[in-house]
Amino acid sequence: MALIEVSHLAKNFGSFHAVKDVSFHVNEGDVFGFLGPNGAGKSTTIRCLLSLIRPTDGEIKFFGKSLNQNRSEVLTRVGCIIEKPDFYKYLSAQRNLEIFARISGKDITKRQIQEMIDFVGLNGREGDKVSGFSHGMKQRLGIAQTLLHNPDVIILDEPTTGLDPQGIIEVRNLILRLRDEQKKTVLLSSHQLSEIEIIANRMVIINQGRTIVEGNVHELLEKQSMNLEISVANPTVFEETIQREFSSLTARLVYQGTYHIEMEEDIRQPLIQRLVETGCGVKAVIPKRSLEDFFIKMTEK
Amino acid sequence: MLWKNTINELLKIATKIRSYIGIGALTLLIIIVLFAMIADGKSYIGFVTASFEQTLSFNGKILNGNLIAFIIMQMLIVHVPLLISLVTGDLLSGEEAAGTIRMLATKPISRTGIVLSKWIAATIYTLIMTVWLGFLSLFVAKWMFGTGDLIVLNSNGLLIIPEADLAWRFGLALLIAFLALWTVATLSLAFSAFAKNSVGPIVSTMSVIILFTIIGTLDVSVFDSIKPYMFTTHMAAWRSVFEDPYPTSAIWESVLILVAHIAVLLGITLFRFNKKDITS
Repeated sequence: MALIEVSHLAKNFGSFHAVKDVSFHVNEGDVFGFLGPNGAGKSTTIRCLLSLIRPTDGEIKFFGKSLNQNRSEVLTRVGCIIEKPDFYKYLSAQRNLEIFARISGKDITKRQIQEMIDFVGLNGREGDKVSGFSHGMKQRLGIAQTLLHNPDVIILDEPTTGLDPQGIIEVRNLILRLRDEQKKTVLLSSHQLSEIEIIANRMVIINQGRTIVEGNVHELLEKQSMNLEISVANPTVFEETIQREFSSLTARLVYQGTYHIEMEEDIRQPLIQRLVETGCGVKAVIPKRSLEDFFIKMTEK
Repeated sequence: MLWKNTINELLKIATKIRSYIGIGALTLLIIIVLFAMIADGKSYIGFVTASFEQTLSFNGKILNGNLIAFIIMQMLIVHVPLLISLVTGDLLSGEEAAGTIRMLATKPISRTGIVLSKWIAATIYTLIMTVWLGFLSLFVAKWMFGTGDLIVLNSNGLLIIPEADLAWRFGLALLIAFLALWTVATLSLAFSAFAKNSVGPIVSTMSVIILFTIIGTLDVSVFDSIKPYMFTTHMAAWRSVFEDPYPTSAIWESVLILVAHIAVLLGITLFRFNKKDITS
């Protein structure tokens, strides 16, 4: 069942077309990657999903119901972080959560708030003013605020922006816990493509305000051309062998003795076997079929 | 949801330092006036009554709490709007500047609910400021200077209002003053819906008050047709309560014009905020 359906979404700011035609759907239980280069229209689309921005055209449905006509009902079941979570700095973490809990559409007790503070690891700091919090702590408080009313759908727009590596790992693990333990549906917009590759099962890539591709992450990656990075001890023999016997391949020198190879068909096994036979001195073979390559290929078109 | 968010808004106002700047400044100003009157009140009153002393004989305590309250209200009613707009001009724009508007607008409360809860909170804050103004100017002044009849100098001459006839007049005057301040609070909230920080709404509100007040005092016939409809014309309507006979229809007219301003300004705020794309 699709929990989020976006059909032909468009948004103009005056004469500027920020989003031209974006469509995708997020199924129940998905961790859905929402990708696109800067200026592709990701943030505008997410803001439309959360009714911060009124779309010029198109339709957004949550749980099979129009967002436009069921805004309050929908938002009761949605939690979100848009870019960086901002709080009332002059209030404590607990008081901030109480404020958002009061207007979450659900009855949330002080005990539940405390449990959420414990869940994100802010116990002991709940009485401190948010003005003294680091970016990572604010992000954790933002996640607490997102989960406070036990939403069915969680929308995270660049949740790891500005976080240190430790913080990024913490957020990633938290999303995995939400997926595995709580079976939440997550829409995740991120520039961390490796993160999406690890976490997401489905994704959409948008560029210049339009949907480029949507589907299962692993199926999409399977379809793309197979790339390898090969390090050899004898580059001259390697280049001769490729030119003579594998002329259909594209081999590009990355740095001394290391080549990036693109192949349309999967001929890895005969290629490596031949390179070994000809005495290239194969030192390393690294598969390079990554989301990063796929993303660049899709957005360069 | 509206009332729950109103509680949130009151909580935010109560925990912000800027909310106490107005109350603090008002308290300080009144204390200064009270001490000035203790120190030099008699010569101040003498200056006013000097021209009448050849024809009239003044008996009893002229410099009393009622007169001090009347003087304080006259002095401060022009300045209190600035103190009010310090808080109310920040209500929407402050959320925009802090980025919390995103958090607020993605909750199940409607945009109309957000504006109305802020407006109700602004109303309560304005009411508190008016009550505080009344308390300090009336009760503290009476406690310090005692009571007595009120001498009012207006365009018709000198009017002496008996002490027994003053309680309801002060009550009604404060009610009308509240209405005027409520209009200012709603005006700054309306500006706040258009701005991304609180400086703009506060400066804009004061600019409008100053501009309208200047237009109101200019004796130029071209402005005569708009003067009766400017809210600043009616901000001093509370003074009419201390006239004899009491001008009922003029006061009602002022009340209606102030209420109409509040309704229109609130309507503009609701329209603007409901149409607004939150991109911050």
